[in-house]
Amino acid sequence: MAILEGRNLRKTYRLSRTNSVEALRGVDVTIDSGEMVAIMGPSGSGKSTLMHVLGLLHQPDANHGAPPELAFAGRRMTDLADNQRTRIRATDMGFVFQAFNLVPTLTAVENVALAAEYAGTARSTARTAALDALGLVGLADRADHRPAELSGGEQQRVAVARALVNRPKLVIGDEPTGNLDSTRSAEVLELMRGLNRAEGHTFLIVTHDAEVGAACDRIIGMRDGRVVSDSRQAAPAAH
Amino acid sequence: MRLLRNLARRRLRTALTITGITIGIWALVVFSSMANKVDALVSGGSDYYAGKIVVSDGGFGGLGGQPMRLDQREELLAIPGAEVVMPAVTMIASEIQGVSFGPPDQVFGAPAGADEGRETYVPQVASGRSLTADDEGENVTVLGSSIAQKRSVAVGGSITLHDHSFEVVGILEPTLSTPDVTIALPFSTAQRLVHEDLPALVRDQVRSADIVSQFVIFPAPGADHDAVADAIEAEFPDVTALTGDGFDESVGSSVAVFNSIIVGIGLVSLIVGGLSVINTMAMSVAERTREIGIKRAIGARRRRIIRELMVEAGVIGAIGGVLGVALGALVVVLGNEAGRSSGTVLFELTPETAVFAFIFSTLLGTVAGIVPAWSAARLDPVAALRYE
Repeated sequence: MAILEGRNLRKTYRLSRTNSVEALRGVDVTIDSGEMVAIMGPSGSGKSTLMHVLGLLHQPDANHGAPPELAFAGRRMTDLADNQRTRIRATDMGFVFQAFNLVPTLTAVENVALAAEYAGTARSTARTAALDALGLVGLADRADHRPAELSGGEQQRVAVARALVNRPKLVIGDEPTGNLDSTRSAEVLELMRGLNRAEGHTFLIVTHDAEVGAACDRIIGMRDGRVVSDSRQAAPAAH
Repeated sequence: MRLLRNLARRRLRTALTITGITIGIWALVVFSSMANKVDALVSGGSDYYAGKIVVSDGGFGGLGGQPMRLDQREELLAIPGAEVVMPAVTMIASEIQGVSFGPPDQVFGAPAGADEGRETYVPQVASGRSLTADDEGENVTVLGSSIAQKRSVAVGGSITLHDHSFEVVGILEPTLSTPDVTIALPFSTAQRLVHEDLPALVRDQVRSADIVSQFVIFPAPGADHDAVADAIEAEFPDVTALTGDGFDESVGSSVAVFNSIIVGIGLVSLIVGGLSVINTMAMSVAERTREIGIKRAIGARRRRIIRELMVEAGVIGAIGGVLGVALGALVVVLGNEAGRSSGTVLFELTPETAVFAFIFSTLLGTVAGIVPAWSAARLDPVAALRYE
């Protein structure tokens, strides 16, 4: 069953009065529930823009070409106001960014609980949920440490816990292993792979890293703002 | 707690901003306390002059004028509209005064009951009793609260005035105005004191019982006070007749200007403090751009970002407010304590002033946070996430 369906997704960024970049030139994409999908491609291929559009951080352009369509969990997304998209990001999506994506003044458990609070959970319940999520990523004993007291790999695991705390329908990763050495990178990748298999979370990961791609069920290849390949892997690399 | 941790991120900067607000609020509290004191003095004067006309022979308010004659009372009563005429004697207490803020210590004597119940400005007696007709000629006195405190005397004690000893029979409640520095004597006793104080040449030509330094006129109900005052000044060219409105006009407007200036100084300091909050919050937002981007991306609504930052700015204002009010109160207490012995009570810090200053400070901080908070909430989450 499709969790995310996009048609005719275009995005042009105006850099100046005379200069603009066509980051997406009409992308059609479908992500099924429970899949772990990698979006890969060289710099400037449009993979991050696609992630921003699919993650409801940016709206697709509607002023040129065929009208865009975007549905998440069967609901039309293209007409939603900023507040409604923010609400869906809070409750039904989780995000893991490349680096420095925790609030430095908050402890690990507070960082995770923040996402639960944004989704409307009461503060005390949010803390319990946050501790559970930290347990899931193996960091229950580091709950009261601040980001500066955690290693890079641990910080990304906290970010994964934060992405999962609301039991979202979709987890989006933007180069989640980009700032980690190969050992830590393998740890985080294994964690996501395990969660996908054990809990059935849908993962959509933008990456340069071939190893990450190899661990996913499916790789969508992008170049010049278009999808150029879409391959399923029968047996993703085990980590 | 989270909020305090945010403020503690840049301790020095937060501390400097709070210091700025503290100084502004401190200035506002101190200057407002000074203005309160001036207001209390003036409103005391205004209350005293309301509903009456004070006739004196030159000096403002009847202080230090040449002696008038008691028999002029009958002539004043003949003026249309002058219903009750009360003679009174005033003189500056001769004790050495320091540099004083407010009215000087003064002796006041009027016959008990001569106002025929028309006087509305009657300070309450805190201890002891008021003067009565039976006290005439006796060396007894009722003291204003400041005088009693300054001379450390209670009912039953005595004070020395112009080389005479006076038994204290009553002490008044504080009024923050002239009665606080007034030594009330029986009329004839005050006449005697003034008489003794006259230069020898004048003294021989005047009888003590004729001496009067002002007449307090209570006009008939419905009478036009200004018309009565004009009639008195026309009849007696050497005297000044001051009505309640006249007092308010001559003193009130200059006091209003004075108060505006001193409160204005406090407000200017506060504006500077407010600008420093804007600066601090704007820098804080710039430093936290990436963090704000993350929060927006994972689902923080714009409203929540605005609220977080405005509350933070409000807390800066509130802390500055508490410290400013506390420091201001300290200055007021120490200043008044230091000045009390010389009668220089400069400040009057009212609860209203303290509460106003605190609320103002908190609001100032919150309002100063609006613009940085608004611009933070308008950030595009994607652009904010890429911010280095």
